[in-house]
Amino acid sequence: MAVKGRWRLAVALGVVAALGVSGCGLNEDNSSSGGTSSDAVLRIGTTTDVSNFNPLQSLSKTDSWILNAMYPHLLRIDENAQKAPELAKEYRYEDDGKTAVFVLRDDFRWTDGKPVVADDVKFSAEKIMEYKLGNVAAKLTWVESVEAPDPTTVTFKLSQPYAPFAEGVGFWMPIVPKHVFEPAGDLSKFPNDSNWVGAGPFVLESMTKGQRYVMKRNEHYPLAPEGKAAVSQVEYRVYPDVNTMMLALRNGDIDLMGTPVPVSAAKTFENDDKIKLAKVGALGFAHLTYNMKNEHLADQAVRQALSMSVDTKAIISAVLQGDGQQMAGPISPIFSEYDNTGIEPYPFDPEGAKAKLSAAGYRDANNDGFFDELSFGVTCDQSNANITRVVQLFRESAAQAGIKLENECVERNTFLTRTRNGEYDIDASQWGVFDNPMDQLRSTYLSSNPGGINYNLLESPEMDALINDAASTTDPEAFKAKIKNIDRVVHEQAYLTPLYVENFQFAYNASKFTGFIPSPSDLLGMVTAYSLAHVTPVK
Amino acid sequence: MSAPVLTEQALPPVPAAPKRSSWSGYLRQPIVALSVLVLLVMVLMAVFAPLIADEPTGAGPEVLQSPSGAHWFGTDDLGQDVFAQVVWGARTSLVIGLAASLIAIVLGTTIGLTAAYFRPVDAVATVVTDVMLALPTLPLMIMLAAVVSPSVWTLTLIIGFFAWPEVARLIRSQGLVISAMPYIDGARVLGATGWRIVTREILPAVVSLMIVSVLLTASRAVISEAGLSFLGLGDPDAWSWGRILLNAQRSGTIAIAWWQTLFPSLAILLLVLAATLAGMRFNDNRDPRRNGG
Repeated sequence: MAVKGRWRLAVALGVVAALGVSGCGLNEDNSSSGGTSSDAVLRIGTTTDVSNFNPLQSLSKTDSWILNAMYPHLLRIDENAQKAPELAKEYRYEDDGKTAVFVLRDDFRWTDGKPVVADDVKFSAEKIMEYKLGNVAAKLTWVESVEAPDPTTVTFKLSQPYAPFAEGVGFWMPIVPKHVFEPAGDLSKFPNDSNWVGAGPFVLESMTKGQRYVMKRNEHYPLAPEGKAAVSQVEYRVYPDVNTMMLALRNGDIDLMGTPVPVSAAKTFENDDKIKLAKVGALGFAHLTYNMKNEHLADQAVRQALSMSVDTKAIISAVLQGDGQQMAGPISPIFSEYDNTGIEPYPFDPEGAKAKLSAAGYRDANNDGFFDELSFGVTCDQSNANITRVVQLFRESAAQAGIKLENECVERNTFLTRTRNGEYDIDASQWGVFDNPMDQLRSTYLSSNPGGINYNLLESPEMDALINDAASTTDPEAFKAKIKNIDRVVHEQAYLTPLYVENFQFAYNASKFTGFIPSPSDLLGMVTAYSLAHVTPVK
Repeated sequence: MSAPVLTEQALPPVPAAPKRSSWSGYLRQPIVALSVLVLLVMVLMAVFAPLIADEPTGAGPEVLQSPSGAHWFGTDDLGQDVFAQVVWGARTSLVIGLAASLIAIVLGTTIGLTAAYFRPVDAVATVVTDVMLALPTLPLMIMLAAVVSPSVWTLTLIIGFFAWPEVARLIRSQGLVISAMPYIDGARVLGATGWRIVTREILPAVVSLMIVSVLLTASRAVISEAGLSFLGLGDPDAWSWGRILLNAQRSGTIAIAWWQTLFPSLAILLLVLAATLAGMRFNDNRDPRRNGG
């Protein structure tokens, strides 16, 4: 008892000391803030450096976070996964869907004082088309011309109606200042790594590679509640290891983790009343995609058997601790209007898979428990904790169905190279953000591979016809029916085995900041321009 | 007259007696005994892994449990037993450690002895050894392991290939001393070929040094393997101590599940310490200056 008593005293003293320290910290914040325009600095942890400062080019996660806070987009994705106005007030289609018109707000300003005008939008779109920059180029495929009849109107003339055109371009295309980017010449080579001019709530001011990226408040941001963000500065700090980042958050070195907290580590913050977790859904999903160039994977029976030997329910309960949703076809349940609820996920049934393969003529002549020809490599990115676990479990369950799998999870850059060159049998990976199902189907199944993520390397005239037919459908009901049909066909063909739609948890120091407006997916999360503009220091 | 003859005849058994006592004397040192015991336990654990613990597979509901009677070393974020992982990890670590050090010993001894005896080869071999020693091995290993598909055998080859120069150095310097000894000249005068001299006369004289090298190189190889696995360049299908550490790091549980990092690290520490101590004491033991010979 005496020992226990002493322990209690020590703990009590520790708590008092901690309270004292944090109290002082809060007082300091208050004294320096002086009302609405505080000098609070929001420090955000990230795992990687910025590799590219040109927003028109392809971006990594950290690149997008920082550049999306600097360069506005026409539309944003709100907390309910719906498109919401950002720079554009509204959009409409004219001319039977062959013209898309965006009406812009007139109160956005670049940090050098010039207004954001329709010419900037026209310039951004034209340069992306001219140099085929980033993933946006594929979304502008049908654009014949871009007009800016007045400073707040932009019209895109399309060669054919394409229903999700405005949504896709509106969400993905960053708007850059014409007067800064035009003198730079060739925009595919423009590094944009100094003297930044932006129109988002924050603009980069200085950086130290490997350490920090300091962003200053834009004193004029109309989407912030008071015309500018309440936080005066946003600072990204680089922590390559997620364990260190979590400790930094607990120690008060950072205020928000930009990267989600791994499910298994959520307990870290259980007994910490300052740290809160915000949960968001996903806009993509994890999947196993089969390379159709492999002679055995080109066989529908083999793909179906593989789908039957993945225990997705067990994966969700073990790897995600139950915090995820099962999927049947390639359309995520987040697009509820397009998700074909009539199809069921393949059941986990290794014996059934075995029977199916035997019926399809596969034999185990050498009696080693595996079908003779069926041996595949599963490639994945070593740094993705969840997917490596999935592959480990998939390998074990597929062995029950007589299919030999080899775990080929490799270091990230090797993985990306292999994916790019199609050097894999089965690709286990995660799609980050699909903002609408049509764009998703086009980029994942068209033989022309416009989005570069046709991981099936599928070249099927039937699929091309189905997708192109749906793409040019303007009637909303017919469009939905066609998407649902493709969902069914992909499921029947088992081109991929969807694994799960997960939830992401972001940890932040709720004793210092509040007001985040999280959007779904780990790409958007807590650090969208809109969310950062709404963050306020706790008084 | 016969007395001197007798003493001469009495001489041969004399070296034999210290030899026997040097082995038992070696093992009688407490540190050596302990080290050899640890090595033995590790080897037994690796060989009889399936009898000690089931191969860690699947996923269970008991996630991130701290050490208890049911799970001696606790469980990881999939609910797998860490003790089983450490036991099975001993297999990979020891196989890679031993196989890689054998590759290094064979390469190193061949190159070292050739350089020591055949003088024209020496210049080239020394330069090559020096260049290899000057290479930044870890980045090179990382690069190679990233290019080839990681498996136990590729890792063994890579680690073994980068570990031979130290061995070659040691063997060459010992070989130089020996090849200058009169009995080598004697062998040459009797008409022995270079091959015979190197394999029959010089090689036996460096065997004890090779034993030391095997132990030291193996312990270094175990560390290299753990390092590469921790960086995600190990065999993803084989349990190894580095992979347990990688799993803990990747799933962000280092701060809340100390058992997941402590036990594999202890296993690495024990194995490397035991091998190093055993090797160094063996080296000291055969040192003639220490034995008064």
